[in-house]
Amino acid sequence: MDIFLTRVFSGTTSGSVYVLIALCLVIVFRSTSTINFAQGELALLTCYFSWWLTEHGWNIWLAVVPGVVLGFAIGAIAERWLVRPVRKRDESAVLIVGLALFTGLNGLDGWIWGSDDKVFPRMLPSGGDSYFTILGARLYYDSALIITIMAVVVLALTIFLTKTNVGLQMRAVATNPTSAALCGVSVGRVLTLSWGISGALSAFAGALLIPMVPPGQLGLGSMFDVLIFATAAALLGGLDSIKGAVVGGLALGIGLALVNGYLTFIGGSMSLTVALLVILAVLVVRPTGLFGARRLERV
Amino acid sequence: MTALLEADSIVAGYGGATVLHGLSVTIDPHEVVVVLGANGAGKSTLLATLSGQLPFTGSIRVNGETVSKVRPDVMLRKGVSLVPQGRGTLTALSVMDNLLVGASTRRDKAGIQQDLERWFSVFPRLDERKDQVAGTLSGGEQQMLAIARALMSRPELLLCDEVSLGLAPVIVQGLFETLREINQESGTALLLVEQNAELALEIASRVYLLEVGEVTASGSAEQFRNDDSIRAAYLGY
Repeated sequence: MDIFLTRVFSGTTSGSVYVLIALCLVIVFRSTSTINFAQGELALLTCYFSWWLTEHGWNIWLAVVPGVVLGFAIGAIAERWLVRPVRKRDESAVLIVGLALFTGLNGLDGWIWGSDDKVFPRMLPSGGDSYFTILGARLYYDSALIITIMAVVVLALTIFLTKTNVGLQMRAVATNPTSAALCGVSVGRVLTLSWGISGALSAFAGALLIPMVPPGQLGLGSMFDVLIFATAAALLGGLDSIKGAVVGGLALGIGLALVNGYLTFIGGSMSLTVALLVILAVLVVRPTGLFGARRLERV
Repeated sequence: MTALLEADSIVAGYGGATVLHGLSVTIDPHEVVVVLGANGAGKSTLLATLSGQLPFTGSIRVNGETVSKVRPDVMLRKGVSLVPQGRGTLTALSVMDNLLVGASTRRDKAGIQQDLERWFSVFPRLDERKDQVAGTLSGGEQQMLAIARALMSRPELLLCDEVSLGLAPVIVQGLFETLREINQESGTALLLVEQNAELALEIASRVYLLEVGEVTASGSAEQFRNDDSIRAAYLGY
């Protein structure tokens, strides 16, 4: 029982990380109906920036703030000056813009900061004996914190979407952009804002997760796996559903932890394969995901 | 008296295909005007242009002010609001949220609240279902919602694209009566594009006849009701 619970806790922890990045993908998908493949690389760039600030004596929590601002700016600029002009001509070409951003941002990181791995400071306390014991299972403080942070982010996002005017406009654009425009919603502004919020959130999530996911250091490949897991999570839950991102991310995290724990013959390195199988299965069996209304088209 | 809306020599269309070939229409304040025409005559294109969705050449003036930007929110702020064909329901949102989105161009909270109460009393069905997801409403209810939502911007001119489409005759009758009341009580001018010409002519005072993107005839609704060739072509009796 305690082994099982320990695995569930560890799965919930990595699941919370997937949820945070999956939420970024969902916010973008709700606005422009595309998966932003550059979401992870956007977070990587802001992480490098925050790391660079810590090298200059900034506290990591303080260094994340300009990183989040930078994330918002890159997201907003990418929507306004890259995605929008291309989208007018060809919807599916937006995916190519995402791929271009993916390689472009990654190359930029390497060019500025070099390709050697950096030690990224932990935002959350951790250590061998910093844990609660629940029913004999260990729940580490950093796990408890990231789960809490994920819950707070989801709650804040939900309140923003349901209780504010801008949130209402974002929901209107997500369900029917043409009709929203006819009602006087400035659709362009909503799209820019969505990409900005998504960029800001991924910057914050990136800084949290870098020390928590293998190899635990900041490198040019740090975000590749995370993006694949988050994409699987978002697809599983439904690309346009906040609730779906939460359920999908947690289900994937816990599922992988249990698979790796009990089916040892598969081995930890097969996690990515399992995630890819999830993506494939969702696309074939239920393209809208568990809670989604819109499916991914023209990919 | 300045006209509420003057569209002069409008040329517009989609991509390379021109649909409107130099069309001109005028609408006076508080007036009810119906646009008749066969499929493909350009009726919906006219409404799309007047609601700021399509680029055009020619000129559009609202209350004497020339429209220089092709944007729906610009037209809404000038007082022109569209009830789109197919209703444009924001299906994932509640009825209440649909109406609030309709007030996007406004900032006067008290006025918005007043209007909500007003349209809920005109459409009690919407009041009963205000927390329901709009996609689950019946076709007639969604059409009521589309009308109420378009009215939430407090327009001086309401453009209605095929309000009767796909609805049972008794429901259509009710909707037209409501439209007539709205026109009489708030003075909102109506521009109706309608397949159901007979019903539209009952509430309209003036008619434009569109053929292949041009106005080929115009006159009072009475003239049109009594014109045999028009009756044969558009009213079917």
